[in-house]
Order: sequence, then C-alpha cells, then structure tokens
Amino acid sequence: MAVAREAAMYGRREFGRLVLSGLAALPALAPWPAGAQATGAPNRSLVNGVQFGLQPFCYHDLPMIPENRGRLIERLVQNGLGMVELHATWVEPRFAAPGVSARDAREQLRHWRLTASPEFYRAVRREFDNAGIAIFTYYVNINDSHTDAEIDAMFAGAKVLGARGCVGSQGLRVTERLAAFPGRHGMFMGVHNHANLSDPDALNNEASFVKALSFSPHVMATLDTRHYTAANGDCLAFLARHHARTSSIHLGDRKRNNGRSTPFGEGDAPIIEILRMIRDNAWPIVVLLEFEHGTLRRSVDEVQLIFDYCKRAVA
Amino acid sequence: MSHRSSHVLLAGGALLMTASLAAQSGTPPGYNVEFLGPPLADPVMQYNKESYVAYGCAYCHGVNLVPRGEAPDLRQSALVGADVDGSLIVKALRAGFPTTTKLSPMPQYADVSERQLHAIAAWIHYARQRDRYASLVRGALPPGDPAAGRASFQDACSACHSVERDLAGIGRKYDAAALRDQILEPAGLRRAPSFTLERLRDARARDGQGRHQRLLENYSPAQVAHLAAYLQTVR
Repeated sequence: MAVAREAAMYGRREFGRLVLSGLAALPALAPWPAGAQATGAPNRSLVNGVQFGLQPFCYHDLPMIPENRGRLIERLVQNGLGMVELHATWVEPRFAAPGVSARDAREQLRHWRLTASPEFYRAVRREFDNAGIAIFTYYVNINDSHTDAEIDAMFAGAKVLGARGCVGSQGLRVTERLAAFPGRHGMFMGVHNHANLSDPDALNNEASFVKALSFSPHVMATLDTRHYTAANGDCLAFLARHHARTSSIHLGDRKRNNGRSTPFGEGDAPIIEILRMIRDNAWPIVVLLEFEHGTLRRSVDEVQLIFDYCKRAVA
Repeated sequence: MSHRSSHVLLAGGALLMTASLAAQSGTPPGYNVEFLGPPLADPVMQYNKESYVAYGCAYCHGVNLVPRGEAPDLRQSALVGADVDGSLIVKALRAGFPTTTKLSPMPQYADVSERQLHAIAAWIHYARQRDRYASLVRGALPPGDPAAGRASFQDACSACHSVERDLAGIGRKYDAAALRDQILEPAGLRRAPSFTLERLRDARARDGQGRHQRLLENYSPAQVAHLAAYLQTVR
C-alpha cells in the first residue's frame, strides 16, 4: 500500500517527532466547536462531521479587495458556506496608485500594518460574525520584505479576526524564518503547496512538507490536492501519514504530470476518497473548496456545483 | 464512481449546451456575462473564447489577457507575438512550462484536442489584437519619423504593397489619424466572416488579413506613428 511504502521513507525517530508535535498542536485546531460565530450554533457548512469552507480566490469574477467584502459575504451565505480562508487583500487597504512607486506603496502598507488598531480588525470580524461565517485562516504572502514587527502585526490582526492561523505559499527558507512567530500568538502557520518541482525551495511534495513541519509544531500543512496531484503526489497517503499536522486542505481537481485543473471528478485527485477519509476518521481538517478550472457559469454557481458534489460524497 | 461519472456528464452537457446557445445571438441562462462579456457576433470566435475560458486559461491569464496573480502578460509575450496560426502556442500548451522560478508552472494540455488547442491560440491572438488596437488608437497620434517609417514599410509592408502602385498618392487621400486607422485595420479587411465558397477560396484576402492581424498585435505606438508619417509623404 502506498501509505506503508511512504512510511518507510522516514526514520522512526523523525516520524515519532512529527506525530508528537502534531498531537501537541491538535487542541488548537478543532475548527467547529469554537468557530468564530457569535451565536454558538453549528456552522452552516459542517456536513456529516466534515467542516467545509471556501478559498474565495475561486470567485474569480470578484476582485479580492476590501470594497468587495460585502459581496463576498453575500456569496458565501448564498453558497451555504460558514467558513472561509480570508486573503489579506480582502482586508487591507491598497496603497498602489498612479504616481506612487511600488517601494512607497510597500512602505505605506507596512506602516498601516504596524499601526492598525484592533478595532479595525474587530469591525471586519463582526461583518463575518453577523453572517455566521468563521474566518478559519488568514492568507498572507510573506517574503523577505516583511520585517519581524510586521509579521507579528499580521498574526495579531489575524487573531483578532478570529483566525486560527495564517497560511501562505512561501518556500522552505521563509517558512523556517516564520516558524518562530505563530506560537507567540497561539496560532499556527499553514504551509500551502504548489506543483513546482523545479524549485528546491518550493513546497511541492511530501519531503518538502516534512521539512517544513519539522521547523516547529506550530507549522501545519495546508494540503492543496490539485497541486499535490499535479506534482504526482498521493493525497491519501499524505493524509494517512500527516493528518495530525494538516490544518486544512484546499480541495480541487487536477490531472497528474503537471496536468490542467478540471471540474471535480474529471481529474486525478481522489476527491471522494479524501472526503470519506476525513469523515470516517473524524479528523478536524477543514476542507476549503477551491477550483481553478474554467467555467462559463457564474463562479457562485460553480461553487454550488462543487459543494453539492462534496456533500454527496460525505452523505 | 457514480458521483464522478454523473458529474462529467452534467458538466459536459452543460458546457455543450452553453456553448451552442452562446453561439446564438442571446445570452443563455447561467452564462456569466458580467465576467465573460456578451457573446460575440462571430460564433467561431465565440467558440474560441469559450474554449480558452473552459480550459481554465482565463483563471490565470484573464479573459481578455489582463493577467491575475503571477501569470505572464500574454499581451506582451514574445512567444505569442512570434506565433503564426498556433504554431508555437499549441506546442507550448501541449508541453506546458514545467520549469519556472514562479510558484506554479504552467500546466500541460496534452489531453486536449488539436482543434481546441488551436481555438485557444486563436482567442489569444484575437484578444491581443483587440487590446493592441484599443491602446494604439487611444489619444492623439504622436509625431513620427518618415525615414523610420520608410524602413518599417520596406520591412513589413512592401511584400504586398507599393507606394508607386496601390498606395500611390495615399498621403493626399488620408490625414494622419485616418492613415493610422488604415494601417491598423484596413477597411477592405474588416468584412464579417463568411463561409461562402467564394470567400473561402479567396486565399489572397485571407493571407492579407492574417498578415495585418499579426502586424497589429505586434505594432508599437512609435512604429505606427513612423509609418503614418511616411505614408503622409506619399503624395
């Protein structure tokens, strides 16, 4: 079996350390009882024990800017979703403008982050709370331009939003630097993979995830099933081995061998089996729906199709 | 298994229905007109556009080639500029770009039919031409250098045109702005697509249209200004 084969790739000591650190982090993860909802009611997209949410990048016809946050919330409610991974661009002001250099815009954003009041983030959280939507994670693209104080400020803001962690697609080198931050805030740092097998620093396969997870028990996997499949990884084997260190999955479909994104069920990602595995093992892994395949439909209609597909899978 | 099969059928059926309906004049229910724009009058180009969108190209490169995220801007791509009838684009789509310094490599589309890959390439060219046309006619024509325009003419136009024959005296006929319009989109080539045998057999017109379209998507504002300045001297 693939799980046993992959288990043999790691030494007993390293495996034990990963499992133990995962267990240590586990209490911080159960996403639904604590949720961020003021009502305390069950989250509307908790389906047969599987907590669904959305990576709203796939509302590709809705630019991810603060001005569209109200429409984002409306769409999430329309799709019956009660959890979201919120990209920072939905929250933070934009400073890029004609006549403003990229460097000046970057400095202004840094200054804003360092001086933004908790009340600003509380007000944003209220918008989601009022609609019964929990912000599970805050998606941030952190790189070498971020100062330590700025990173701390981003985690602090994310915490006020109700997020359990921050997530990003940074490489291993930056992840190693970030590993020290989430613990200070009682949060985790989710590492998200892509399918770039040509970059030795990239999160792209199981070995790179294991490396990233070894940096700190507060680093967690955000397994993107599309990219992992396109990079010829085995999602089921990954979850079997690393479920305790997996905070969420970005659930979508793609073909292997760097193949294209497809509608759910048309590619090589074992979507139904992944969902059943999470349900049957009662793993507290949040399933964030995401699609990148093309569609002529409105994206809110496409999200409904893929959510319905998943609901049938865990029925 | 049944989930997967039924979804494929549903998705495929919906796509075919949407595509055929969109090719008609109305906007079909569920068609994302806000994002995709109204269906085009030319059903073949609409098919090309829908192929481009349905295979996910728009997700990164944008419906009208305004990229999202880290995707390259196809409006400025040298590969697209050098492509003739899909010769380079189709090859690139089949193989993808597995090696990259960016987060995500471009996927390969080896499972997609030759016809659909060519449809994707055709939309990329069309959208690039429309975008370049819009940017080149925006604002007043800058002053051009007739000598540089003469060199451009020799290089790009003289295989088909001559200032002593078909373009003799053109500088008397049109002002600079009108010349710009003629350079970008000659009136004779603006005809609606037709499948009459007469038109299909008109290889000269078809070849001319293709050449002008390739020129259009690669023109720089300075090049157009120089050409217009040169043609104004042809009196």
